[in-house]
Amino acid sequence: MPEGTFCNRTPIQSEKALKRLLEDTGGKTYYQEMKALEVDRDLLWGTIQKTLKSRLRTWLGICAHCGMCADSCFLYRISKRDPRQVPAYKIQSTLGEIVRRKGNVDNAFMHMAMETAWAKCTCCNRCGLYCPHGIDMGVMFGYLRGLLYQQGFVPWELKIGAGMHRVYRAQMDVTDKDFVETFEWMVEEYEEDYPGLTVPVDKQEADILYTVNAREVKHYPEDLAEAAILFHLAGEDWTVPSSGWEQTSLAMFAGDWEACKLQVQSVYGAMERLKPKRMVGTECGHAHRATVVEGPYWAGRPDGRPPVRSIHYVEWLAEALRTGKLRIDPEKRIRVPVTIQDSCNYIRNHGLKEITREIISHIVAPGYFREMSPNREHNYCCGGGGGFNGIGLYRPQRNQALITKRDQLLATGAEMVIAPCHNCWDAIRDLVEEFHVPIKWSFLKPLLIKMVQVPEHLRPENS
Amino acid sequence: MFQQILFATSATPACDPAARVAFNLARRYGGRLALLHVLGVPTRGFSQEVVDIRTGQKVQADEDYLACVREEITQYYAKQMESVPGAAIDIRLGYPHREILRKARDERPDLIVMGGTTEDPSGSAYKKVMVGSTFHRVAKAAFCPVLAVGRSAASFWGGGFSNIVFATDFSKAANAAFDFCLEVAGSLDGELHLFHALDIGTPQTGVLIDQDAIEKRLREARQRIRGLYVPRMGEFKKYSIEVWEGIPYIEIVKFAREKQADLIIMAHQSQALDAENAKLGSNMEQVIVRASCPVLSVSRPPKAQ
Repeated sequence: MPEGTFCNRTPIQSEKALKRLLEDTGGKTYYQEMKALEVDRDLLWGTIQKTLKSRLRTWLGICAHCGMCADSCFLYRISKRDPRQVPAYKIQSTLGEIVRRKGNVDNAFMHMAMETAWAKCTCCNRCGLYCPHGIDMGVMFGYLRGLLYQQGFVPWELKIGAGMHRVYRAQMDVTDKDFVETFEWMVEEYEEDYPGLTVPVDKQEADILYTVNAREVKHYPEDLAEAAILFHLAGEDWTVPSSGWEQTSLAMFAGDWEACKLQVQSVYGAMERLKPKRMVGTECGHAHRATVVEGPYWAGRPDGRPPVRSIHYVEWLAEALRTGKLRIDPEKRIRVPVTIQDSCNYIRNHGLKEITREIISHIVAPGYFREMSPNREHNYCCGGGGGFNGIGLYRPQRNQALITKRDQLLATGAEMVIAPCHNCWDAIRDLVEEFHVPIKWSFLKPLLIKMVQVPEHLRPENS
Repeated sequence: MFQQILFATSATPACDPAARVAFNLARRYGGRLALLHVLGVPTRGFSQEVVDIRTGQKVQADEDYLACVREEITQYYAKQMESVPGAAIDIRLGYPHREILRKARDERPDLIVMGGTTEDPSGSAYKKVMVGSTFHRVAKAAFCPVLAVGRSAASFWGGGFSNIVFATDFSKAANAAFDFCLEVAGSLDGELHLFHALDIGTPQTGVLIDQDAIEKRLREARQRIRGLYVPRMGEFKKYSIEVWEGIPYIEIVKFAREKQADLIIMAHQSQALDAENAKLGSNMEQVIVRASCPVLSVSRPPKAQ
């Protein structure tokens, strides 16, 4: 069978197709069909010739097989140092081999490559930090995922995730109308406690354009309320776009390059339409990577930057605390042993390590902060990055991958971990559940709400 | 009054007393009853896997599974549904409090009925003296009253509300609760007992107030009730005023028992966004788990349609 009904080389293009694929519970038929999916070798080699540029070609060629990357990979370390988990081996045996064979690979090879790309690498880019040549296997795996996606060898949930972006311009079935209504609903719920609280939609030339993760809208909209409250208390001139509000990109995890571009263009479109001074994104690591770091290249922006200056939520929060826009009640600072999870996507890959510690200095009482070891840019992936969290097929491997973070957390002796990243937050919740680890986990916003001082003129009348 | 009732249920025995009340109310007042079951929290990032809150099992929440759950709930309430024609069942995925509030926002019921907690599967004593965080989150944010039925003993009554205790703490939320109280008592031709429990602490907690001071405060509280609420009752005369001192939740429960009340109305007070912090030690919580009748929580005036 060249292509299956569910498993094929055609991306999801309509809501109907998306729902049909969703009905294939757990991707049962999808994976069955994948076993017979033929590799379009001409397409594969043609794509490589067009897209494998000098950086990746050089990296593949200059790898000295020195093995320095081995210990940098948490998946290698937790796999009894299995040589097949050495980053250099993983990329050479997949992408390297496809290139050497000029795309002449078969179905079994593609299955192996798929498992390697999604269950043996989270694209955390830690290996790139330790390679003497600076070869970044995470970047190359991102590229390999694109080739695999194009051939139809992609985990079921990620085909769905990329399809969501294509259909809804969001990682979940949340429409623009749902987003605006949910934000307004949250403001309604909290406006009595915070008089004057509003959600300005599509305001032109605001200081801040705020973008979110669709999961906040769908499952925990309190996060939207908390963002609104903190902007309100800080006296910010802010707005949300009625469309182009979704900052995340499961398409990036899936390797669906076209959907990556479509998604990020919707956010940039909002920036161009509303002309804010800057964009602030929610507490999400990969959303930042997708929209701020990689997005400009997907969208073909010549300066490699989004249309307006775009920052992560931690940058805004640190600034608000630094400048006194938000003031913390010293009595309400955290007084239990607490640690912070350094998200790969904006700490290692975007240099914000001191920003998060600046926040800690404001919100944690002296003596209670515990660093993980290692930390900052050397921190390990949470264990669920790069799409690993959501793939049912690789659940056992993902659960195994949580061990590193579990042990890091336990070694701190902390009772709470702050995780300003959706993926990390999810992975830590899962490891708590999986291994019964006695630790609480939280985003920053709910913690701030509990300790921030409400200026007198913004308090409710009877408070 | 009670024309549109939303009954949020886990479809487990923990919700049986609440179910009895919800169906009784719908039957007695001819209201439309909507049952809502929140299946569970989607987990594992963006995967389609869900933890079923009843079984604790990880399931793929596809159409087949949802149909199975619907069938199970239909069977569970089959007998009661016969007596309330048109009762609809809705199943949603998500965090229970959020989905209950979402449904309430969609359908604007005039009452939400909720049952006991399903949060502690071990069946520990904790479960018996605490109300779930779902109730607190819903009660805080809902724009309509929320009726809690914390124990089985609270669900066996005539099915109507004719003898109502309004327990006030004189807060802004209590004002909204009083308006609702008056509406219920007026439209159902009931009797209304305006009650305040004066918190005098205990010597064990380091609080010891002399008797003159207590009696002075009792008089003040009575005057306050007269000043705040009586003028708003107009022609409504079937009311009484009482102020007792002690531990507030105990006094409220005792007073309701003495009056053979069939409903206690209170204001939901917590301003905390975090229900974990809100739930410990609240008077309402303790009244819910101890009262022999349903307890109705009002946190704010109803939202204009």
